[in-house]
Amino acid sequence: MASPVPRLTIRGVLARKWRIVLTVLAVVSGVAFVSGAFILTDSVKKAIDDLFAQLAEGIDVEVRATIAFGDEATADRDPVPGQLVSTIAEVDGVRLAEGNLIRAATVIKTDGEPLATTGPSFGIAWTGPDGLDGRTLLEGRVADGPGQMTLDRDSARRAGYAIGDVVTMVGPVGKGEFELVGLTGTGGESNGGGASIAAFDPVTADEFLGAEGLVDSVYVAIDEGADRAVVMESIRDVIDDGLEVITGEQSAKETAGAINDIIDIFGNILLGFAAVSLFVSAFLIFNTFAIIVSQRLRELALLRAVGASTRQVRSMIVGESLVVATLATVIGVFAGMGVAVGIVALFNATGAAFPAASLIVSTRTIIVSTLVGVGVTVAAAVVPALRAGRIPPVAAMRPELGFSALQKNRRLLVGGTTFALGVVLFSIGLFLQPGGAGGTIGLGALGAVLLFLGISSLSTTFAAPASDLISRLLPLPFRPMTRSVPGRLGSRNAQRTPRRTASTASALMIGLALVSTVSVVATSIQQSFKDQLQGSVTADFFISNGPGNFQGLPVTFGERLAELPELSAVSPFRGANALVAGDEKQIGAVRGSAFAELVDLDLIAGSVESLDDGRILLHRDPAADLSVEVGDVLSVTWQNGRTSELEVGGIYGDSSVAGNWLVGIELLAEVSTTPPRDFFIGAKIADGVSIADARAAVDAVALDFPSAEVQDQAEFLQSQEDQLNQLLTIVYGLLVISIAIAVLGIANTMALSVFERTREFGLLRAVGMSRRDLKRSIRWEAIIVAVFGAVLGIVVGVPLGAAVTSALPDTFVTTVKIPFGTLVNILIAAVVVGMVAAIGPARRAAKLDVLEAISTS
Amino acid sequence: MSETPTLTAAAAVVDARKIYGKGDSEVRALDGVTVSFDAGRFTAIMGPSGSGKSTLLHCVAGLDTLTSGSVLLGDTNLATLNDKDLTTLRREQVGFVFQAYNLVPTLTALENITLPLDLGGREPDREWLDKVVDAVDLRSRLDHRPSELSGGQQQRVAVARALVSKPRIIFADEPTGNLDSRTSAEILGFMKRAVSELGQTIVMVTHDPSAASYADRVIFLADGRIVDEITEPTADRVLDRMKRFGS
Repeated sequence: MASPVPRLTIRGVLARKWRIVLTVLAVVSGVAFVSGAFILTDSVKKAIDDLFAQLAEGIDVEVRATIAFGDEATADRDPVPGQLVSTIAEVDGVRLAEGNLIRAATVIKTDGEPLATTGPSFGIAWTGPDGLDGRTLLEGRVADGPGQMTLDRDSARRAGYAIGDVVTMVGPVGKGEFELVGLTGTGGESNGGGASIAAFDPVTADEFLGAEGLVDSVYVAIDEGADRAVVMESIRDVIDDGLEVITGEQSAKETAGAINDIIDIFGNILLGFAAVSLFVSAFLIFNTFAIIVSQRLRELALLRAVGASTRQVRSMIVGESLVVATLATVIGVFAGMGVAVGIVALFNATGAAFPAASLIVSTRTIIVSTLVGVGVTVAAAVVPALRAGRIPPVAAMRPELGFSALQKNRRLLVGGTTFALGVVLFSIGLFLQPGGAGGTIGLGALGAVLLFLGISSLSTTFAAPASDLISRLLPLPFRPMTRSVPGRLGSRNAQRTPRRTASTASALMIGLALVSTVSVVATSIQQSFKDQLQGSVTADFFISNGPGNFQGLPVTFGERLAELPELSAVSPFRGANALVAGDEKQIGAVRGSAFAELVDLDLIAGSVESLDDGRILLHRDPAADLSVEVGDVLSVTWQNGRTSELEVGGIYGDSSVAGNWLVGIELLAEVSTTPPRDFFIGAKIADGVSIADARAAVDAVALDFPSAEVQDQAEFLQSQEDQLNQLLTIVYGLLVISIAIAVLGIANTMALSVFERTREFGLLRAVGMSRRDLKRSIRWEAIIVAVFGAVLGIVVGVPLGAAVTSALPDTFVTTVKIPFGTLVNILIAAVVVGMVAAIGPARRAAKLDVLEAISTS
Repeated sequence: MSETPTLTAAAAVVDARKIYGKGDSEVRALDGVTVSFDAGRFTAIMGPSGSGKSTLLHCVAGLDTLTSGSVLLGDTNLATLNDKDLTTLRREQVGFVFQAYNLVPTLTALENITLPLDLGGREPDREWLDKVVDAVDLRSRLDHRPSELSGGQQQRVAVARALVSKPRIIFADEPTGNLDSRTSAEILGFMKRAVSELGQTIVMVTHDPSAASYADRVIFLADGRIVDEITEPTADRVLDRMKRFGS
């Protein structure tokens, strides 16, 4: 007969089906995140590539202004003169040349509110399906005269418009009303990635979009049979310097690439959660196998006695983990498809409208998922397998001789070393930051993993007294458990196997430690941000484009506000990309004289008003980095290639509103022909004018810009805080998954313990313990373990959070704030977790037949 | 009582000492035991609880190690073997029957019987296997799991497993401790036949005089020393000797 090891392995798995199912479940979620991340990014990126390729199908060549640096797709690119279209149309081999014009334009819904979009809101020039832009007409006709427009079908539906309705739009220079004559699609879709796209004929577009005869680029189709390379060369001969000729495919690839970068961020976040959930699962797997090994002590010893080698016993346990790993990987990859579909559905529900993607499960996805699923599972089972190999054969007859083999005690040394190493690596990553952000994240994560492992190992030494203390200190929600028999039993049981209690609690610790860390960092940032904003914002009104319209406001809004006598100071805030000392920077542009009254920059030297004389202001950190002082000259290269030699007019200490770099809006207008948009407008009420009067005056102007949102100081501060809270909610939501795995872990351990103590429970029931009390004692034990995990998590997480916070730059966070409310919630959650985890095991224990239970050996 | 090991011995121990613990809590489980077990004979080891009889068995069988002294199994000195060699020795030269928990619960009766051979990657000798299976009268039960077998049937499977690899020696630790008297007699009778008819060597630890009466020779242990021995025992003679040692 063949080697009995595979047979023993398979039978071993089958004999413990439910235990294995729970273990598999824990691994599945991690694998599902990994494969989900890959499937999502692969599928959506492919769909986006296809979509843009389809849109650019008719475009053989594009002519546009060059940029000096940065990403081609997202750059501040200068427009080109409209006459260029006719110049290029004359070139030999050119069949058709069209001006491409895309500007921000917001759709106002039938209820008067701006249409919120997750993508950009565009107004474009479109000559129809015969033209070069690859949009499709789904219903009605193409807009071909003044006062007409088409809209993508999805936006029309969401805004409440049908063909024949009059649509209100807000363009770069103001409001306009147009008859909706047709509904369009992007490719075959009724929408394009959550954008709203309003299309006009070229003349109407030029006027409403304020292009003043300029176009963004020129699309070119070549004659059939013409050599594209030759035509491109001929075009190059007739155009000015500062323009470039590229293929349509390249242009489409660049645009798709910019969007795919965002998809990659989602993918990476998912991978991050995969890592956390796999790490937590590893504890569960370790625990399950450790318990299985100790339960099968006699069986394994018997195998050793009849001649199984250490290696054969070890391979049996590792083999069982392989079965778990394989099952989990297969299920995980399929669940990953579910994750991908779910995320797409989630985004579509919020209006993001990913293009319909067919799921792509690449070989890489399967290989990586398998490596991760199998690797983590088997790695976690290695230590239990090694222990199993150490079981001496004599334990078959005298089990008590076997337990010592399962409990070699080098925990203090190993745990202590691991913990110390983790702290050192974490600190190096955080404070010395070798290798930039990558190094910080890598070392920080590795350090955190070691730190968790170390704590988990060390916690065995104090699990028993800690459990005792917890059972005494917990303010009891029901009645004093510690004095009752079930309470005492539950507490003693938690103390009886400290190793098991510790590693079960550790699984919960990780999730809760991360929650604690994140909440300390977030609360600190929030607090610092609030403190800074409160101290620095002196403006009475903030006007920004409404939520879901992140492209900024038409500049005419700010210009009209500046004319109001009710306001004393009005400044827009714009931005541009620039190269300063070789690094790409975001530079803000404001009206210096007004801005000085709206925001307290905590000026260290110079004056804010100097901005209006064409000087540059910078925060003290970059000033120190570049060692510049007021009066020095900085060389700034704008994205269109122009350079400015700017004298430093001031250095300031508060970057919460202004960012690190500021110039005047006149300077920006001189150097950049990119159509400006205002991120926000700040305004101060003139002396002697009541708040109500001022607000009324601002609101009256805002009527012409329905997409704008006017906020007073308090509303503005609140909205900034809300944004941060929203982000936090998502992070917490995902961490809940790691906690759910820990619940599985506690349930699994409790189930195994119940199984082990069958005889003991039978005895308790025989001497008169009620089913209810038995259940209570099990529940109580689970609660103690869960709270122990939560306390560990908080004790580890809060200092980690404080360390991360203090490593962040001062411009970002100034105070460390401990979120006590959140910590209390974590403890309450732990109690609930324990109770939930105990439901199944408690029910099972209560169901035991007394006679059968006491006759079990 | 002492004996010089001879070449006909299947196993022998010389001046065996096994000490657990240290200082005040020191326990001398074996305190200078020298004995040899003849090939083709059925030897019983008796003694009160704590006399060291199980420890002696475990040490001779290579399951446990001595504090001092030596164990010879055939002409192999166990002290010279590492864990790997000991494993091979157990698989190929030693058979075991325990009081309880003799079988791997997830394997069928047949799979349990052939387990030592399978572990060593050896093919069972078909003829011998059939003979053993018939001898223990298990043919109709071969596909059953241990949980589906009675206590007596489980012990018969264990004996069959011990026999199947034709070991130099079989060690049995209270093999009938959990069985009723009728089933006990059946198992012991079978073990006796294995010795007389098949030439097997068996060493059995027991505290039951009637079980010991199946043996060719009985060795009495007390406080880690050999205190007496009788050959051709009957239950009455064994009981008689036991009374003398106050057990």
